[in-house]
Amino acid sequence: MTAYVVQRLLLMLVTLFAIITLTFFLMHAVPGGPFTSEKMLQPEIQAALNAKYHLDDPLWLQYLNYLRGVLSLDLGPSFKYAGMSVNEIIAEGLPVTMKTGALALLCVVALGVPLGIVAALNRNRWPDTLVMVIATIGVAVPSYVIATVALYVFALRLGWVPTFGLDDWRGYFLPVFALSGFWISFIARLARSSLLETLQQDYMMTAKAKGLKRGTVLFKHGLRNSLIPVVTVLGPVVANLLTGSFVIEQIFALPGIGRHFVLSITNRDYTAIMGITIFYAAVLMVMIFIVDMLYLVLDPRIKYRADAK
Amino acid sequence: MTDIEIAPEMWAPTTRNGAAAEYIAAPSLTFWQDVRKRLWANKPAMLGLGFIILLVLAAIFGPMLSRHTYFEQNLKLSNVPPLFQTYEVTDSTGATTRFFFNSGNLNLYEVTPSGEVAGLLRATKKDLIKKQQQFKFGDKQVVLDTAKQQLSFADGTALAPSGWQWNMSNVLGTDQLGRDVLARQLYGARISLTVAFVATLVNFFIGVFYGGLAGYLGGKADTIMMRIVEVISTIPLTLYVILIMVVFNSGFLSVVLAIGSVYWVDMARIVRGQILTLKQQDYVAAARTMGASTPRILVRHLLPNSVGPILVTLTMLIPSAIFIESFMSFIGLGVTPPEASWGTLTSEAVETLRAYPYQLFFPAAAISLTMFAFNFLGDGLRDALDPRLRT
Amino acid sequence: MTTSHMSPPLLSVSNLSTSFFTSRGEVKAVRGVSFELNAGEILGIVGESGSGKSITCMSLMGLLRSSGRVIEGSARFEGRDLITLDEDELSELRGNDISMIFQDPMTSLNPTLTVGEQVIETILRHRKVSRAEARARAIELFELVRIPSAAKRLKSYPHEFSGGMRQRVMIAIALACDPKLLIADEPTTALDVTIQRQILALLKELQGRLGMAVILITHDLGVIAETADRVLVMYGGMVMEEGPVRELFARPSHPYTRGLLASIPDLRDDTHHRLTPIPGSPPDMLRPPKGCPFAPRCPHAMAQCNAALPPLYHAGEGRRARCWLHHPEAPRVAGITAELVPA
Repeated sequence: MTAYVVQRLLLMLVTLFAIITLTFFLMHAVPGGPFTSEKMLQPEIQAALNAKYHLDDPLWLQYLNYLRGVLSLDLGPSFKYAGMSVNEIIAEGLPVTMKTGALALLCVVALGVPLGIVAALNRNRWPDTLVMVIATIGVAVPSYVIATVALYVFALRLGWVPTFGLDDWRGYFLPVFALSGFWISFIARLARSSLLETLQQDYMMTAKAKGLKRGTVLFKHGLRNSLIPVVTVLGPVVANLLTGSFVIEQIFALPGIGRHFVLSITNRDYTAIMGITIFYAAVLMVMIFIVDMLYLVLDPRIKYRADAK
Repeated sequence: MTDIEIAPEMWAPTTRNGAAAEYIAAPSLTFWQDVRKRLWANKPAMLGLGFIILLVLAAIFGPMLSRHTYFEQNLKLSNVPPLFQTYEVTDSTGATTRFFFNSGNLNLYEVTPSGEVAGLLRATKKDLIKKQQQFKFGDKQVVLDTAKQQLSFADGTALAPSGWQWNMSNVLGTDQLGRDVLARQLYGARISLTVAFVATLVNFFIGVFYGGLAGYLGGKADTIMMRIVEVISTIPLTLYVILIMVVFNSGFLSVVLAIGSVYWVDMARIVRGQILTLKQQDYVAAARTMGASTPRILVRHLLPNSVGPILVTLTMLIPSAIFIESFMSFIGLGVTPPEASWGTLTSEAVETLRAYPYQLFFPAAAISLTMFAFNFLGDGLRDALDPRLRT
Repeated sequence: MTTSHMSPPLLSVSNLSTSFFTSRGEVKAVRGVSFELNAGEILGIVGESGSGKSITCMSLMGLLRSSGRVIEGSARFEGRDLITLDEDELSELRGNDISMIFQDPMTSLNPTLTVGEQVIETILRHRKVSRAEARARAIELFELVRIPSAAKRLKSYPHEFSGGMRQRVMIAIALACDPKLLIADEPTTALDVTIQRQILALLKELQGRLGMAVILITHDLGVIAETADRVLVMYGGMVMEEGPVRELFARPSHPYTRGLLASIPDLRDDTHHRLTPIPGSPPDMLRPPKGCPFAPRCPHAMAQCNAALPPLYHAGEGRRARCWLHHPEAPRVAGITAELVPA
């Protein structure tokens, strides 16, 4: 058990370190410095700016300094917004992104799993067909298409929900729907095929042969086992909800981290790009760690295998 | 004792027919014949394949056949819809002018009898306060009320539409810079598909090389290489595509590079797994004892065994590459204007969503249908290759 | 044996037919199987894979996969017809009066629940006892099937057990509610040879101690010889021969049974006989042959065999055989039809 937790924790730290390093060197591989776009800068000012942001230090020193900063949870100053730190940019966008992201994750689990179960239990009958048709559409149509079509129909045409912003609670509907649509479909399909496979297992036959009631057989023996693969993809789901928010926040003009990220890309605000990437990665690593721990609870074989290593 | 009456000749012994006894009911098929048969029977998959073939043909030959180019602009004919309602005005000399009203930009366009858009009609007088424009057709005068979006003669009688007309000069209409939407669609398909295919190919080679090397080397090298894969697979890859795009700047080549260099992890895993199982197979040991060389073993034994899972992974990778490319273009990191991809077309359409919602339809439909097609084909291939996985 | 003949049999299956309805057509897996089972008796059912032996038992338990259906016949168990019972009534019986163990102990236990829980939930389903009482009973059962340090092992998961130990857990689950009938479907096939013997000995011992009836399904005649009282030989979804084990082994009255006996090695026999396999493969149950299903592979096949299905000839005390050779006018074949009289 502890071996498994330690192993996962180590993997998480190694990955995070790899991400910080990769991100730092990628951003410093950009031709020219961060201030090259402002061509009007005089050499003295350029030098002063370089000195101010320690850009004249050798690369390894900059890297070590940056690493020290990240470890003390300081992602440095923004290059474009004078006087604003990357931490502040993130703090500003975090509530919006967290709220929509958490709601989307909730929708994915609370809708995707039951839909998959309903489909599997009604295999080849109309509920199954209906769920599979919707899920196939959901997997094939890109989120930004869903978002813009929904925006046009529900906000511009019907006027049921505001076109942008989250001041009204109804403003959450479309962004959350667009963000989670793909993953609801994906999870529904996964839960369906996983449950169908579980239903074929010998131990399901044993459970029936023991005379257990249908509900017990299904929920205690079937569902729990079929949810294991669903839980394993929740990590990537979170990652994709985060990156999906770039486009969704753009379309619905939500002041979240994703929008700040896209803005800092267009502004070539390298420290912000770097900081937000690392922040995303850290959130994701923590989520993956949580999922791993959940996995441990659901599947006792994991603990056994890790300890045997 | 009574028993069934049986004719004496029925007790004659029959010769046991060895061949008949070994007869197996279903005709035996080779693996690939079986796969082809199952795939052929899978209607969605075949529909998907048909669509993909048509799409590829359209992407290759479409731009050659189109009389417009993707970059040629005509600001006078911007945002023309593919279908419009025409009006006709005949002056006293008998000359008839056919035209339509574009409610998006409040302009009148002249239409030839064959349905071609001839050009913009100039107002003779604009009254910005009353929001009215006057047009002269010979001796007839028509007033356009831009607030009410109504056309009427000078005496106040309303002008009735004369009918519907398909746009013959730009079948799918034009965009906000007056470029032909169809030409841009076809060109966009070319870019999107090329990016997807090339990026998938790059992934394929990296994956096969990396996975093959790890599996072939085995031992410590394999462990380390697979640990690296594990680390990479937990990194949110979309972020890295974005970062690479930032470093290399937007453009066709960087999109291919960025997507191609990032999504090879699954492929590497599959190839490594195949090589590892292969190494333990007795028939490989047998082939080796009989003096078969490593390349020969790889080609004769590895390829036929792993081609299935690799094919499925590739088919599934193509739509994700198309998606990532359009995603990048959507947030402004894809191909640079005036080049077009489905992503840039969608994001351009979103800018004009309020006035010309139909402009969103074509790129959105193109990309969604393509995703459907590849998904169906991929699912079909997977089911055909491994019927056990069928759900 | 003689006393049990007086009382009505525990289970009486008559003319049971089960089919699977697949996309390729109707697969007739079981065709008119009849047999009786007395309380406390061990009945072996032997046959190749696909002979319908497992499907027969699954039909009794109502555990057929969704494409399968019993199309005719009855199975009276203590006066009730199992075939007509609804799912609720059947689930009351399953694991309680009739229980079952399966072939592969590696996959028959739920990997994510402790073995203790899997025993306890069975007891709680059928008995009105507290959880603590059920737990005490589970420990008792583990001791009964000789799982060492029973109380501690309740908390283990299946993957922490060896195959033999898992099958002991399966037996403990099956015995949890003192069943009157235990169906063991190839209980030793997936196990190592030494473990096989232990499990069989355990089953036989427990049967003697608890007095339940057992249906033992296997393709291994050796297992039948060691364990069963009576044996049913199945082929092509039908009963080919039935009789007490000793007599049937000594004087098989069906060419298929004889073929089966000739194809197993006999270590006591040191005259270097070659093992004789039965040539050919079992019939395609999508299109079962009109006549005897074994005819295409039978060394004694006659024109009549391909023309019509032979009836079951009663052949002495508790013996039946489905073969035209038992027709009074049929040619005599040494070793099969000697002193048999048709019923």
